[in-house]
Amino acid sequence: MAIVTLQNVTYKYPLTEAPVLQNVNLQINEGEFVAVIGPNGAGKSTLCYTLAGFVPHFFKGELTGTVEVAGVETHQSSLNEWVLNVGLAFQNPFNQISGAKYTVFEEIAFGLENIGVPREEMKPRVEKALALTGISDLADRSPYSLSGGQQQRVALTSILVMEPKVLVLDEPTSQMDPIGTREVFGVIRTMAERGMTVVLAEHKVEWIAAFADRVVALKDGQVLLDGKPGEVLTSPLLEEAGFGISRYTSTARKARELGLWKKDQLPITLEEAVEGFSLTSSPSPKERGE
Amino acid sequence: MKINIENLRFTYPTGLEALRGISLTIASGEQVAIVGQNGAGKTTLVKHLNGLLQPTQGSVHIGDWDTRQHPVSKLAARVGYVFQNPDEQLFSRNVGMEVAFGPKNLGYPAEKVDALVKDALALTELSDKTETNPYDLSSTWRKMVALASIISMDTDIVILDEPTTGQDAVNVRRIAHVIAALRERGKTVITITHDIDFCAENFERVIAMSQGQILLDGPANEVLGQEAVLATTYVDPPQLTRLGLRLGLKETVRNQAEFLTAIRK
Amino acid sequence: MHERLSFYVHRDSPLHRLNPLTKLTMVFAFILLSFGSPWYWTPHILIVLVILPLSFVGRVQREYLLTAARLIFPAAGFLFLMQSLFQPIGQTIWFRWWVLEVTHEAVAFAFVNAARIIVMVSSFTLLLLTTHPSELMSDLTRRGLPSQFAYVIISTLQIIPQMQAKAQTIIAAQRSRGLDTQSSFVKRVGALVPLVGPLVFGSLVEVEERAIAIEARGFTSSHAKTSLCEIPDSRFDQILRGALIVSVILAFVSRLWLS
Repeated sequence: MAIVTLQNVTYKYPLTEAPVLQNVNLQINEGEFVAVIGPNGAGKSTLCYTLAGFVPHFFKGELTGTVEVAGVETHQSSLNEWVLNVGLAFQNPFNQISGAKYTVFEEIAFGLENIGVPREEMKPRVEKALALTGISDLADRSPYSLSGGQQQRVALTSILVMEPKVLVLDEPTSQMDPIGTREVFGVIRTMAERGMTVVLAEHKVEWIAAFADRVVALKDGQVLLDGKPGEVLTSPLLEEAGFGISRYTSTARKARELGLWKKDQLPITLEEAVEGFSLTSSPSPKERGE
Repeated sequence: MKINIENLRFTYPTGLEALRGISLTIASGEQVAIVGQNGAGKTTLVKHLNGLLQPTQGSVHIGDWDTRQHPVSKLAARVGYVFQNPDEQLFSRNVGMEVAFGPKNLGYPAEKVDALVKDALALTELSDKTETNPYDLSSTWRKMVALASIISMDTDIVILDEPTTGQDAVNVRRIAHVIAALRERGKTVITITHDIDFCAENFERVIAMSQGQILLDGPANEVLGQEAVLATTYVDPPQLTRLGLRLGLKETVRNQAEFLTAIRK
Repeated sequence: MHERLSFYVHRDSPLHRLNPLTKLTMVFAFILLSFGSPWYWTPHILIVLVILPLSFVGRVQREYLLTAARLIFPAAGFLFLMQSLFQPIGQTIWFRWWVLEVTHEAVAFAFVNAARIIVMVSSFTLLLLTTHPSELMSDLTRRGLPSQFAYVIISTLQIIPQMQAKAQTIIAAQRSRGLDTQSSFVKRVGALVPLVGPLVFGSLVEVEERAIAIEARGFTSSHAKTSLCEIPDSRFDQILRGALIVSVILAFVSRLWLS
């Protein structure tokens, strides 16, 4: 069942000339994990803000077409109601910390306080969220004393504790080191496995290949490709349009030209590359017979 | 210009010992990538190269200068340092003025400043944006402005702190192109990076740091193939190196050309 | 790194357990009493018989005495000295030195003023040592202080050290571009633009992102807000607040009546 529906969505920020999203059509089913890829300026962040209600409620500007999440249409709703359905986390973990709280536990309870959750319910909900993202041990620390990866997990937990129906993540690991990236993707994987609907804008193709049910490629505010990771991430259109693709894919494509890649399907993960290239590097049965 | 670091130790005022005995020589014109987890001491190390930090013990020489005897504003003529976040340095009304700021500070005559600015803008593909306000540019282009504003200082040594963070594939290629151009000009380039594939494809020498010490230092192929040692500082080998290791290729490979050559054997 | 951003010392004591508003009332009552009471020795008595013992009740005597020794008493001592020497009042000259006359009246005036300053700073210090800032703010919010106002105060307290760190990075980045920030005054003033520009721009970006982040967590939700920590307000708190207010009123009434 579709939980997110975008129909002919076009959007222009107040002070810019050209629309940032153009005629975007997108349907996301409940429990689906959709990755959004695209060069900088392709509209990934704007798409995230649109799904999360900040376009148009926060940024104003002109939005045409319809955006519907969980049966509610964006123009008929307020941002306050919208954020209860859609949670948003973005790049810079530091700017996502409220600054109003002195411990991680309080920080995560901040959203629950704002929407008036009774105190008795608050504690168990925060504890559950902390356990889910694996940061229970950070509960008493100051959010400002944490590493980037830890802060980003706090930001994710602060959103998850509000139990949104859809989770929207705008390049949550772009400012992380490899450990931070791994930590944050650990949380994202947990959410995906629990059947949460996740929309993730991300550059790191190797991680997308490992998680996503579906990949949407944006280019100049339009949907260029939309399909299974194995199809989208290996499409020759991507490289031409300036998308980052995995070295496994680009190398296998080159190898195919040289006759060194024998399979039809190009690889997107290390495992697929190992499998495909072992056909090349170990001598085939026929060659052995000669 | 040669960089010579001898038994460098550095302790922050908080008592944190960030560098614990670093000895290192970088020859003129070398391209070096420094990798390792956050907190390994990478930034602390490079901040010693232009005098932003002074050794607690040991010494740092840039050519014939001991960094303790020259202020940062003078060392800036020898060592250019591009900070990670362009927004922490851009302030001018337009790109041209921003890029001219460094060479002007170094006291170069007007004609030389103009020539340096023009060259830096051309190299970073910003020539058509000279009159634009940096803050009207996308973050991708602001990164290029920050890069240009250091290149225009024409220093023998250029330090890049995380040049590819938050950049898309197109801009990563642009930055790689700039590094290649600097190599041709005989500049020394030292880059801190988490982007290990970028490191593999653009640098000949790799230094892996961990807990204030040098863990590995050598030709890229030697260092990047040491999966187990790199794992201790939370660095994964590049994608193609990992693929090569899994396929049991004899030599360590780090880019497409090397991989394709090796697999044919 | 900034694990401890406020003065607050986490301990369990009767003073910690008092309602934040009671402690705030206490602070203002002490200050008003020390300035308003008709009796000369009021501030001195407050220091010795109330504030000092309270620091022991609150189990923060070590922190309080350290602050007092390093900051409060030296400042008050300096004030005492200056006012004793330069206050042009009184005829009862104790001694003369160069152009200065030290009179009994000036010393007496300086002595009570110094004590008032000590009362003022000490009672705020005790409040800050024993009250968590966010507890103070949530209590005041609950009592009708706009939550946006409380948010601004608390987040500013926390963000100042972060701004300082950012300013340090900007200075380092510009010095790396040959900016001379260390030699002459003129150069330092000229160096301000490259430092302030990025700081202001960075703050604007930060403010927008933070606004999005807290909005995403329902900050402006129309629901009545709740609070994670329960802030007790006992019968004893209410009586104490009443007593403090009554004592202040009595002090002022008696002053008017006596004059």
